[in-house]
Amino acid sequence: MKKVYLDSAATTFVSSEVLAEMLPCFNTIYGNSNSIHSFGREADAIVDRARDRIANAINASKSNEIYFTSGGTEADNWAIKGIAHAYSNKGKHIITSAIEHHAVLDSCKQLEQEGFEVTYLPVDRHGLINIVELLHSIRKDTTLISIIAVNNEVGTIQNIKAIAKIAHDYGVIFHTDAVSAIGSVKLDVQDMEIDALTISGHKLYGPKGIGCLYLKNGIRIEPLIVGGSQEREKRGGTVNVPAVAGLGKAVEIAVRDLYINQQKLKSIRDYFIRSISEKIEFVQVNGHPQQKVNSIVNMSFEMVDNESLLMLLDMEGVAVSIASACTSGSNEQSHVLKAMGLENNAIHSSIRFSFGKNISKADIDYAVEAIAKSVERLRSISALTKAGRR
Amino acid sequence: MYSNRILERFASPKFAGALRGCNGSGKAEDEKGGDVIKLYMLIDDNSIISNCKFKAFGGVSTIVACDIACQMLIGKTLEEGLSISNLDILEEMGEIPQDREYVALLVEEAIKNAIEDYYKRKEREAKKAIN
Repeated sequence: MKKVYLDSAATTFVSSEVLAEMLPCFNTIYGNSNSIHSFGREADAIVDRARDRIANAINASKSNEIYFTSGGTEADNWAIKGIAHAYSNKGKHIITSAIEHHAVLDSCKQLEQEGFEVTYLPVDRHGLINIVELLHSIRKDTTLISIIAVNNEVGTIQNIKAIAKIAHDYGVIFHTDAVSAIGSVKLDVQDMEIDALTISGHKLYGPKGIGCLYLKNGIRIEPLIVGGSQEREKRGGTVNVPAVAGLGKAVEIAVRDLYINQQKLKSIRDYFIRSISEKIEFVQVNGHPQQKVNSIVNMSFEMVDNESLLMLLDMEGVAVSIASACTSGSNEQSHVLKAMGLENNAIHSSIRFSFGKNISKADIDYAVEAIAKSVERLRSISALTKAGRR
Repeated sequence: MYSNRILERFASPKFAGALRGCNGSGKAEDEKGGDVIKLYMLIDDNSIISNCKFKAFGGVSTIVACDIACQMLIGKTLEEGLSISNLDILEEMGEIPQDREYVALLVEEAIKNAIEDYYKRKEREAKKAIN
Protein backbone atom coordinates (compact mmCIF):
# COMPACT_ATOMS: atom_id res chain seq x y z
CA MET A 1 0.00 0.00 0.00
CA LYS A 2 1.23 3.48 -0.86
CA LYS A 3 1.87 5.72 2.12
CA VAL A 4 1.44 9.48 2.08
CA TYR A 5 2.46 11.61 5.03
CA LEU A 6 0.39 14.79 5.28
CA ASP A 7 1.28 15.54 8.88
CA SER A 8 4.52 17.50 8.64
CA ALA A 9 3.23 20.06 11.13
CA ALA A 10 3.29 17.27 13.73
CA THR A 11 6.84 16.31 12.92
CA THR A 12 9.13 15.84 9.92
CA PHE A 13 11.71 13.29 8.90
CA VAL A 14 15.36 14.19 9.56
CA SER A 15 16.93 15.33 6.30
CA SER A 16 20.09 13.60 5.13
CA GLU A 17 22.15 16.80 5.38
CA VAL A 18 21.09 17.14 9.04
CA LEU A 19 21.71 13.48 9.79
CA ALA A 20 25.21 13.71 8.29
CA GLU A 21 25.93 16.63 10.60
CA MET A 22 24.73 14.69 13.63
CA LEU A 23 26.28 11.26 13.12
CA PRO A 24 29.91 12.03 14.08
CA CYS A 25 28.65 13.50 17.35
CA PHE A 26 27.46 10.11 18.56
CA ASN A 27 30.71 8.19 18.45
CA THR A 28 33.54 10.38 17.21
CA ILE A 29 33.08 13.79 18.79
CA TYR A 30 31.48 12.49 21.94
CA GLY A 31 32.96 14.70 24.64
CA ASN A 32 30.89 16.65 27.10
CA SER A 33 30.82 20.18 25.74
CA ASN A 34 31.35 21.50 29.26
CA SER A 35 34.61 19.57 29.81
CA ILE A 36 37.72 21.63 29.46
CA HIS A 37 39.88 18.91 27.86
CA SER A 38 40.25 18.46 24.12
CA PHE A 39 37.31 16.05 23.82
CA GLY A 40 35.09 18.61 25.50
CA ARG A 41 36.48 21.53 23.51
CA GLU A 42 35.85 19.65 20.27
CA ALA A 43 32.21 19.08 21.24
CA ASP A 44 31.92 22.67 22.40
CA ALA A 45 33.10 23.85 18.99
CA ILE A 46 30.19 21.90 17.44
CA VAL A 47 27.76 23.58 19.83
CA ASP A 48 29.22 27.02 19.08
CA ARG A 49 28.91 26.40 15.37
CA ALA A 50 25.24 25.47 15.75
CA ARG A 51 24.67 28.57 17.85
CA ASP A 52 26.29 30.72 15.14
CA ARG A 53 24.17 29.12 12.44
CA ILE A 54 20.93 29.78 14.29
CA ALA A 55 21.94 33.32 15.21
CA ASN A 56 22.75 34.02 11.55
CA ALA A 57 19.51 32.47 10.35
CA ILE A 58 17.33 34.75 12.48
CA ASN A 59 19.74 37.71 12.38
CA ALA A 60 20.44 37.76 16.10
CA SER A 61 23.13 40.31 16.88
CA LYS A 62 25.15 37.84 19.00
CA SER A 63 25.40 34.04 19.03
CA ASN A 64 25.23 34.05 22.82
CA GLU A 65 21.59 35.06 22.52
CA ILE A 66 20.75 31.45 21.57
CA TYR A 67 20.04 29.00 24.44
CA PHE A 68 19.52 25.31 23.71
CA THR A 69 16.57 23.52 25.30
CA SER A 70 14.93 20.10 25.09
CA GLY A 71 12.44 21.41 22.52
CA GLY A 72 9.88 24.06 21.70
CA THR A 73 7.75 23.21 24.71
CA GLU A 74 10.58 23.82 27.16
CA ALA A 75 11.59 27.01 25.37
CA ASP A 76 8.00 28.31 25.56
CA ASN A 77 7.68 27.32 29.23
CA TRP A 78 10.97 28.95 30.02
CA ALA A 79 10.26 32.17 28.13
CA ILE A 80 6.83 32.69 29.71
CA LYS A 81 7.61 31.65 33.26
CA GLY A 82 11.24 32.77 33.31
CA ILE A 83 10.55 36.29 32.02
CA ALA A 84 7.35 36.69 34.07
CA HIS A 85 9.22 35.74 37.24
CA ALA A 86 12.26 37.89 36.46
CA TYR A 87 10.07 40.98 36.05
CA SER A 88 7.47 40.22 38.70
CA ASN A 89 8.59 43.19 40.81
CA LYS A 90 7.58 45.44 37.90
CA GLY A 91 4.20 43.84 37.31
CA LYS A 92 2.28 40.60 37.12
CA HIS A 93 0.24 40.98 33.95
CA ILE A 94 0.84 39.00 30.75
CA ILE A 95 -0.90 39.21 27.39
CA THR A 96 -1.17 36.27 25.04
CA SER A 97 -3.73 34.96 22.55
CA ALA A 98 -6.42 32.31 22.71
CA ILE A 99 -4.77 30.36 19.87
CA GLU A 100 -1.34 29.73 21.34
CA HIS A 101 0.23 26.31 21.60
CA HIS A 102 -0.57 24.60 24.90
CA ALA A 103 3.06 25.09 25.97
CA VAL A 104 2.31 28.82 26.22
CA LEU A 105 -1.30 28.52 27.39
CA ASP A 106 -0.54 26.03 30.16
CA SER A 107 2.47 28.08 31.32
CA CYS A 108 0.17 31.09 31.59
CA LYS A 109 -2.36 29.00 33.51
CA GLN A 110 0.39 28.02 35.97
CA LEU A 111 1.32 31.66 36.44
CA GLU A 112 -2.33 32.50 37.10
CA GLN A 113 -2.24 29.97 39.95
CA GLU A 114 0.70 31.94 41.35
CA GLY A 115 -1.22 35.20 41.29
CA PHE A 116 -0.30 36.56 37.85
CA GLU A 117 -3.06 37.95 35.64
CA VAL A 118 -3.27 36.89 32.01
CA THR A 119 -5.25 38.43 29.14
CA TYR A 120 -6.07 35.94 26.39
CA LEU A 121 -6.69 38.01 23.28
CA PRO A 122 -9.50 36.70 21.07
CA VAL A 123 -8.99 36.18 17.33
CA ASP A 124 -11.20 36.84 14.34
CA ARG A 125 -12.68 34.17 12.06
CA HIS A 126 -9.37 33.96 10.20
CA GLY A 127 -7.28 33.52 13.33
CA LEU A 128 -5.80 37.02 13.53
CA ILE A 129 -5.58 38.99 16.75
CA ASN A 130 -6.94 42.52 16.70
CA ILE A 131 -4.15 45.08 17.14
CA VAL A 132 -6.51 47.65 18.68
CA GLU A 133 -7.64 45.09 21.22
CA LEU A 134 -3.99 44.39 22.04
CA LEU A 135 -3.42 48.10 22.62
CA HIS A 136 -6.38 48.29 24.96
CA SER A 137 -5.15 45.27 26.93
CA ILE A 138 -1.76 46.74 27.82
CA ARG A 139 -1.61 47.93 31.42
CA LYS A 140 0.99 49.59 33.59
CA ASP A 141 1.80 46.25 35.15
CA THR A 142 2.07 44.34 31.83
CA THR A 143 5.54 42.82 31.55
CA LEU A 144 5.23 40.32 28.71
CA ILE A 145 3.32 39.82 25.47
CA SER A 146 3.56 36.42 23.81
CA ILE A 147 1.91 35.85 20.44
CA ILE A 148 2.45 32.82 18.20
CA ALA A 149 4.03 33.83 14.87
CA VAL A 150 2.30 31.15 12.77
CA ASN A 151 -0.53 29.11 14.20
CA ASN A 152 0.25 25.40 14.04
CA GLU A 153 -3.32 24.29 13.34
CA VAL A 154 -4.53 26.70 10.66
CA GLY A 155 -1.31 28.36 9.45
CA THR A 156 -2.44 31.96 9.97
CA ILE A 157 0.51 34.40 10.11
CA GLN A 158 0.24 37.14 12.75
CA ASN A 159 1.51 40.68 12.19
CA ILE A 160 4.48 40.07 14.46
CA LYS A 161 6.46 43.19 13.58
CA ALA A 162 3.50 45.46 14.39
CA ILE A 163 2.76 43.58 17.62
CA ALA A 164 6.39 43.77 18.78
CA LYS A 165 6.50 47.48 17.97
CA ILE A 166 3.44 48.11 20.12
CA ALA A 167 4.91 46.06 22.97
CA HIS A 168 8.08 48.16 22.89
CA ASP A 169 6.19 51.45 22.66
CA TYR A 170 4.81 50.53 26.08
CA GLY A 171 8.04 49.06 27.45
CA VAL A 172 6.73 45.49 27.37
CA ILE A 173 8.88 42.47 26.46
CA PHE A 174 7.78 40.53 23.39
CA HIS A 175 8.08 36.75 22.92
CA THR A 176 6.90 34.72 19.96
CA ASP A 177 6.54 30.98 19.49
CA ALA A 178 8.05 30.63 16.02
CA VAL A 179 8.04 26.82 15.88
CA SER A 180 5.72 26.76 12.84
CA ALA A 181 7.12 29.95 11.36
CA ILE A 182 10.78 29.13 10.84
CA GLY A 183 11.36 27.95 7.30
CA SER A 184 7.93 29.21 6.26
CA VAL A 185 8.30 32.95 6.77
CA LYS A 186 11.35 35.19 6.98
CA LEU A 187 12.30 35.97 10.57
CA ASP A 188 14.67 38.77 11.49
CA VAL A 189 14.69 39.32 15.24
CA GLN A 190 16.38 42.71 14.98
CA ASP A 191 14.18 44.13 12.26
CA MET A 192 11.05 42.68 13.84
CA GLU A 193 12.10 43.81 17.34
CA ILE A 194 11.62 40.35 18.85
CA ASP A 195 12.99 39.95 22.39
CA ALA A 196 12.48 36.20 22.76
CA LEU A 197 11.69 33.53 20.18
CA THR A 198 11.09 29.79 20.37
CA ILE A 199 12.43 27.31 17.82
CA SER A 200 11.99 23.52 17.67
CA GLY A 201 14.09 21.05 15.69
CA HIS A 202 11.65 18.40 14.60
CA LYS A 203 9.32 20.63 12.58
CA LEU A 204 12.10 21.58 10.20
CA TYR A 205 13.74 18.28 9.28
CA GLY A 206 15.86 18.28 12.41
CA PRO A 207 15.85 15.85 15.33
CA LYS A 208 13.20 15.58 18.03
CA GLY A 209 13.93 16.60 21.61
CA ILE A 210 15.87 19.74 20.77
CA GLY A 211 14.93 23.38 20.49
CA CYS A 212 16.22 26.74 21.49
CA LEU A 213 15.22 30.07 22.87
CA TYR A 214 16.54 33.25 21.36
CA LEU A 215 16.77 35.78 24.16
CA LYS A 216 17.98 39.28 23.37
CA ASN A 217 20.91 40.30 25.52
CA GLY A 218 19.74 42.48 28.36
CA ILE A 219 16.41 40.72 28.84
CA ARG A 220 16.33 39.05 32.24
CA ILE A 221 15.08 35.48 32.67
CA GLU A 222 14.95 33.10 35.61
CA PRO A 223 16.16 29.56 34.90
CA LEU A 224 13.58 26.84 34.49
CA ILE A 225 16.01 23.90 34.70
CA VAL A 226 18.72 24.16 37.31
CA GLY A 227 21.56 21.82 38.15
CA GLY A 228 24.52 22.89 36.09
CA SER A 229 26.37 25.86 34.67
CA GLN A 230 25.54 25.04 31.07
CA GLU A 231 24.13 27.63 28.68
CA ARG A 232 25.82 30.46 30.54
CA GLU A 233 24.26 29.29 33.80
CA LYS A 234 20.75 29.77 32.48
CA ARG A 235 19.83 26.18 31.59
CA GLY A 236 21.29 23.25 33.49
CA GLY A 237 21.89 19.83 31.94
CA THR A 238 24.52 18.25 29.70
CA VAL A 239 24.14 19.69 26.22
CA ASN A 240 22.74 17.20 23.73
CA VAL A 241 25.52 17.77 21.23
CA PRO A 242 24.26 15.55 18.34
CA ALA A 243 20.81 17.14 18.54
CA VAL A 244 22.26 20.63 18.81
CA ALA A 245 24.41 19.97 15.73
CA GLY A 246 21.30 18.77 13.92
CA LEU A 247 19.22 21.75 15.00
CA GLY A 248 21.89 24.20 13.87
CA LYS A 249 22.08 22.58 10.44
CA ALA A 250 18.29 22.25 10.14
CA VAL A 251 17.71 25.93 10.89
CA GLU A 252 20.46 26.95 8.49
CA ILE A 253 18.93 24.83 5.70
CA ALA A 254 15.38 25.99 6.47
CA VAL A 255 16.40 29.60 5.96
CA ARG A 256 18.74 28.85 3.03
CA ASP A 257 16.01 26.94 1.15
CA LEU A 258 13.05 29.01 2.31
CA TYR A 259 12.25 30.53 -1.09
CA ILE A 260 12.52 27.33 -3.15
CA ASN A 261 10.61 25.26 -0.58
CA GLN A 262 7.84 27.81 -0.32
CA GLN A 263 7.44 28.00 -4.09
CA LYS A 264 7.01 24.24 -4.23
CA LEU A 265 4.73 24.05 -1.19
CA LYS A 266 2.52 26.81 -2.55
CA SER A 267 1.98 24.85 -5.79
CA ILE A 268 1.29 21.68 -3.79
CA ARG A 269 -1.11 23.43 -1.41
CA ASP A 270 -3.03 25.15 -4.22
CA TYR A 271 -3.20 21.92 -6.21
CA PHE A 272 -4.47 20.05 -3.15
CA ILE A 273 -7.22 22.60 -2.41
CA ARG A 274 -8.23 22.69 -6.09
CA SER A 275 -8.38 18.89 -6.33
CA ILE A 276 -10.40 18.59 -3.12
CA SER A 277 -12.91 21.22 -4.22
CA GLU A 278 -13.30 19.55 -7.61
CA LYS A 279 -13.99 16.14 -6.06
CA ILE A 280 -15.76 16.85 -2.77
CA GLU A 281 -18.77 19.03 -2.01
CA PHE A 282 -19.49 20.88 1.25
CA VAL A 283 -15.92 21.58 2.27
CA GLN A 284 -14.69 24.73 3.96
CA VAL A 285 -11.10 25.88 4.33
CA ASN A 286 -10.38 27.26 7.81
CA GLY A 287 -7.84 29.99 8.45
CA HIS A 288 -6.84 33.17 6.71
CA PRO A 289 -7.45 33.23 2.93
CA GLN A 290 -4.11 34.93 2.17
CA GLN A 291 -2.07 35.57 5.31
CA LYS A 292 -1.13 31.93 5.87
CA VAL A 293 1.77 29.56 5.41
CA ASN A 294 1.89 27.25 2.40
CA SER A 295 2.50 24.06 4.35
CA ILE A 296 -0.73 23.90 6.38
CA VAL A 297 -4.34 23.50 5.20
CA ASN A 298 -7.17 23.08 7.68
CA MET A 299 -10.48 21.90 6.21
CA SER A 300 -13.90 20.96 7.51
CA PHE A 301 -15.82 18.24 5.69
CA GLU A 302 -19.48 18.72 6.54
CA MET A 303 -21.31 15.74 8.03
CA VAL A 304 -18.05 13.85 8.58
CA ASP A 305 -16.50 13.26 11.99
CA ASN A 306 -12.79 14.08 11.94
CA GLU A 307 -11.61 11.10 14.01
CA SER A 308 -13.43 8.67 11.76
CA LEU A 309 -12.01 10.35 8.67
CA LEU A 310 -8.50 10.30 10.14
CA MET A 311 -8.75 6.56 10.86
CA LEU A 312 -10.22 5.67 7.45
CA LEU A 313 -7.44 7.65 5.78
CA ASP A 314 -4.89 5.89 7.95
CA MET A 315 -6.23 2.59 6.65
CA GLU A 316 -5.55 3.93 3.12
CA GLY A 317 -2.00 4.86 4.12
CA VAL A 318 -2.65 8.60 4.37
CA ALA A 319 -1.56 10.28 7.62
CA VAL A 320 -3.33 13.50 8.66
CA SER A 321 -4.25 15.03 12.00
CA ILE A 322 -7.04 16.46 14.08
CA ALA A 323 -6.17 19.75 15.75
CA SER A 324 -2.52 19.31 16.69
CA ALA A 325 -0.67 16.13 17.54
CA CYS A 326 -0.16 17.51 21.03
CA THR A 327 -3.88 17.27 21.79
CA SER A 328 -5.04 14.47 19.51
CA GLY A 329 -4.57 11.77 22.14
CA SER A 330 -7.44 13.28 24.06
CA ASN A 331 -11.08 13.87 23.28
CA GLU A 332 -10.44 17.58 23.34
CA GLN A 333 -11.33 19.42 20.16
CA SER A 334 -9.35 22.32 18.75
CA HIS A 335 -9.20 25.38 21.01
CA VAL A 336 -7.93 27.29 17.99
CA LEU A 337 -10.97 26.67 15.79
CA LYS A 338 -13.21 27.34 18.77
CA ALA A 339 -11.51 30.70 19.34
CA MET A 340 -11.97 31.46 15.63
CA GLY A 341 -15.72 31.08 16.17
CA LEU A 342 -16.28 27.97 14.05
CA GLU A 343 -19.54 26.10 14.52
CA ASN A 344 -19.34 23.02 16.72
CA ASN A 345 -20.01 20.67 13.78
CA ALA A 346 -17.35 22.36 11.65
CA ILE A 347 -14.82 21.87 14.47
CA HIS A 348 -15.70 18.19 14.79
CA SER A 349 -15.31 17.86 10.99
CA SER A 350 -11.94 19.58 10.74
CA ILE A 351 -8.74 17.96 9.57
CA ARG A 352 -5.27 19.46 9.36
CA PHE A 353 -3.24 18.55 6.29
CA SER A 354 0.39 19.64 6.38
CA PHE A 355 2.88 19.17 3.60
CA GLY A 356 6.56 18.34 3.77
CA LYS A 357 9.19 19.33 1.25
CA ASN A 358 9.38 15.84 -0.24
CA ILE A 359 5.71 15.63 -1.21
CA SER A 360 4.83 15.05 -4.88
CA LYS A 361 1.76 15.71 -7.02
CA ALA A 362 1.29 11.94 -7.28
CA ASP A 363 1.12 11.79 -3.47
CA ILE A 364 -1.55 14.51 -3.52
CA ASP A 365 -3.53 12.67 -6.21
CA TYR A 366 -3.46 9.48 -4.14
CA ALA A 367 -4.44 11.30 -0.95
CA VAL A 368 -7.27 13.23 -2.58
CA GLU A 369 -8.72 9.98 -4.00
CA ALA A 370 -8.56 8.42 -0.52
CA ILE A 371 -10.13 11.50 1.07
CA ALA A 372 -12.96 11.60 -1.49
CA LYS A 373 -13.67 7.90 -0.99
CA SER A 374 -13.59 8.10 2.81
CA VAL A 375 -15.69 11.27 2.98
CA GLU A 376 -18.31 9.70 0.72
CA ARG A 377 -18.40 6.58 2.85
CA LEU A 378 -18.78 8.46 6.12
CA ARG A 379 -21.41 10.77 4.67
CA SER A 380 -23.45 7.74 3.57
CA ILE A 381 -23.76 6.69 7.22
CA SER A 382 -23.75 10.15 8.81
CA ALA A 383 -26.54 11.09 11.19
CA LEU A 384 -26.15 14.67 9.99
CA THR A 385 -27.66 15.95 6.78
CA LYS A 386 -26.34 18.63 4.46
CA ALA A 387 -25.21 21.94 5.95
CA GLY A 388 -25.00 20.35 9.37
CA ARG A 389 -28.73 20.07 9.95
CA ARG A 390 -29.52 17.54 12.66
CA MET B 1 -5.17 3.97 21.09
CA TYR B 2 -7.70 1.53 19.62
CA SER B 3 -7.36 -2.26 19.49
CA ASN B 4 -7.24 -4.03 16.13
CA ARG B 5 -10.58 -5.63 16.94
CA ILE B 6 -12.22 -2.22 17.31
CA LEU B 7 -10.56 -0.90 14.17
CA GLU B 8 -11.66 -3.90 12.11
CA ARG B 9 -15.24 -3.40 13.21
CA PHE B 10 -14.96 0.32 12.45
CA ALA B 11 -13.64 -0.41 8.97
CA SER B 12 -16.50 -2.82 8.18
CA PRO B 13 -19.56 -2.07 10.27
CA LYS B 14 -22.31 -4.61 9.65
CA PHE B 15 -25.31 -2.46 10.43
CA ALA B 16 -24.50 1.02 9.11
CA GLY B 17 -26.99 2.86 6.93
CA ALA B 18 -30.70 3.52 6.66
CA LEU B 19 -33.34 0.89 7.38
CA ARG B 20 -36.24 0.90 4.97
CA GLY B 21 -39.66 0.52 6.57
CA CYS B 22 -38.40 0.94 10.12
CA ASN B 23 -41.11 1.46 12.72
CA GLY B 24 -39.01 2.83 15.57
CA SER B 25 -36.18 5.32 15.46
CA GLY B 26 -34.23 7.02 18.22
CA LYS B 27 -31.68 9.79 18.29
CA ALA B 28 -29.11 10.82 20.87
CA GLU B 29 -26.46 13.47 20.81
CA ASP B 30 -23.59 14.64 22.91
CA GLU B 31 -22.83 18.31 22.64
CA LYS B 32 -19.30 18.18 24.04
CA GLY B 33 -18.16 15.22 21.99
CA GLY B 34 -20.16 16.44 18.99
CA ASP B 35 -21.61 12.96 18.36
CA VAL B 36 -25.04 12.46 16.83
CA ILE B 37 -26.43 8.95 16.50
CA LYS B 38 -29.66 7.60 15.06
CA LEU B 39 -30.90 4.04 15.59
CA TYR B 40 -33.51 2.53 13.31
CA MET B 41 -35.48 -0.56 14.35
CA LEU B 42 -37.86 -2.88 12.60
CA ILE B 43 -40.09 -4.46 15.22
CA ASP B 44 -42.39 -7.30 14.27
CA ASP B 45 -45.88 -8.08 15.56
CA ASN B 46 -44.48 -10.25 18.34
CA SER B 47 -42.53 -7.25 19.70
CA ILE B 48 -39.26 -8.76 18.51
CA ILE B 49 -36.61 -6.46 17.05
CA SER B 50 -36.17 -8.17 13.70
CA ASN B 51 -33.70 -5.69 12.22
CA CYS B 52 -31.68 -2.73 13.45
CA LYS B 53 -29.40 -0.22 11.74
CA PHE B 54 -27.70 3.04 12.61
CA LYS B 55 -26.36 6.29 11.25
CA ALA B 56 -23.75 8.23 13.16
CA PHE B 57 -21.71 11.40 13.16
CA GLY B 58 -18.96 10.41 15.52
CA GLY B 59 -15.59 8.82 15.98
CA VAL B 60 -14.39 5.23 15.84
CA SER B 61 -15.86 4.25 19.21
CA THR B 62 -19.23 5.81 18.36
CA ILE B 63 -19.54 3.84 15.14
CA VAL B 64 -18.41 0.61 16.78
CA ALA B 65 -20.73 1.10 19.77
CA CYS B 66 -23.69 1.61 17.42
CA ASP B 67 -22.76 -1.40 15.31
CA ILE B 68 -22.37 -3.66 18.35
CA ALA B 69 -25.65 -2.40 19.83
CA CYS B 70 -27.49 -3.24 16.60
CA GLN B 71 -26.09 -6.76 16.71
CA MET B 72 -27.09 -7.10 20.36
CA LEU B 73 -30.61 -5.84 19.66
CA ILE B 74 -31.54 -8.03 16.71
CA GLY B 75 -33.69 -10.95 17.83
CA LYS B 76 -34.41 -9.42 21.23
CA THR B 77 -37.85 -8.52 22.58
CA LEU B 78 -38.52 -4.87 23.31
CA GLU B 79 -38.22 -5.56 27.01
CA GLU B 80 -34.88 -7.24 26.53
CA GLY B 81 -33.81 -4.32 24.31
CA LEU B 82 -34.72 -1.84 27.02
CA SER B 83 -32.66 -3.74 29.52
CA ILE B 84 -29.43 -3.31 27.53
CA SER B 85 -27.29 -0.85 29.44
CA ASN B 86 -24.21 1.16 28.56
CA LEU B 87 -22.19 -1.29 30.65
CA ASP B 88 -23.38 -4.22 28.49
CA ILE B 89 -22.32 -2.30 25.38
CA LEU B 90 -18.94 -1.44 26.86
CA GLU B 91 -18.39 -5.07 27.81
CA GLU B 92 -19.12 -6.19 24.26
CA MET B 93 -16.81 -3.53 22.85
CA GLY B 94 -13.80 -4.53 24.93
CA GLU B 95 -11.17 -1.98 25.76
CA ILE B 96 -11.70 1.56 24.46
CA PRO B 97 -10.12 4.83 25.63
CA GLN B 98 -11.74 6.00 28.85
CA ASP B 99 -12.62 9.40 27.44
CA ARG B 100 -14.75 7.69 24.78
CA GLU B 101 -16.79 5.54 27.14
CA TYR B 102 -19.59 8.13 27.08
CA VAL B 103 -20.61 6.83 23.65
CA ALA B 104 -22.12 3.73 25.25
CA LEU B 105 -24.40 5.99 27.30
CA LEU B 106 -25.45 7.73 24.10
CA VAL B 107 -26.27 4.42 22.45
CA GLU B 108 -28.31 3.35 25.48
CA GLU B 109 -30.25 6.60 25.21
CA ALA B 110 -30.85 6.05 21.48
CA ILE B 111 -32.13 2.50 22.12
CA LYS B 112 -34.61 3.80 24.70
CA ASN B 113 -35.69 6.62 22.36
CA ALA B 114 -36.19 4.20 19.46
CA ILE B 115 -38.35 1.84 21.52
CA GLU B 116 -40.32 4.77 22.93
CA ASP B 117 -40.81 6.03 19.38
CA TYR B 118 -42.16 2.61 18.40
CA TYR B 119 -44.68 2.67 21.27
CA LYS B 120 -45.75 6.20 20.35
CA ARG B 121 -46.29 5.19 16.74
CA LYS B 122 -48.34 2.20 17.88
CA GLU B 123 -50.41 4.46 20.09
CA ARG B 124 -51.04 6.90 17.23
CA GLU B 125 -52.02 4.02 14.95
CA ALA B 126 -54.40 2.67 17.60
CA LYS B 127 -55.99 6.10 18.05
CA LYS B 128 -56.38 6.43 14.29
CA ALA B 129 -58.05 3.01 14.12
CA ILE B 130 -60.52 3.99 16.86
CA ASN B 131 -61.34 7.26 15.11
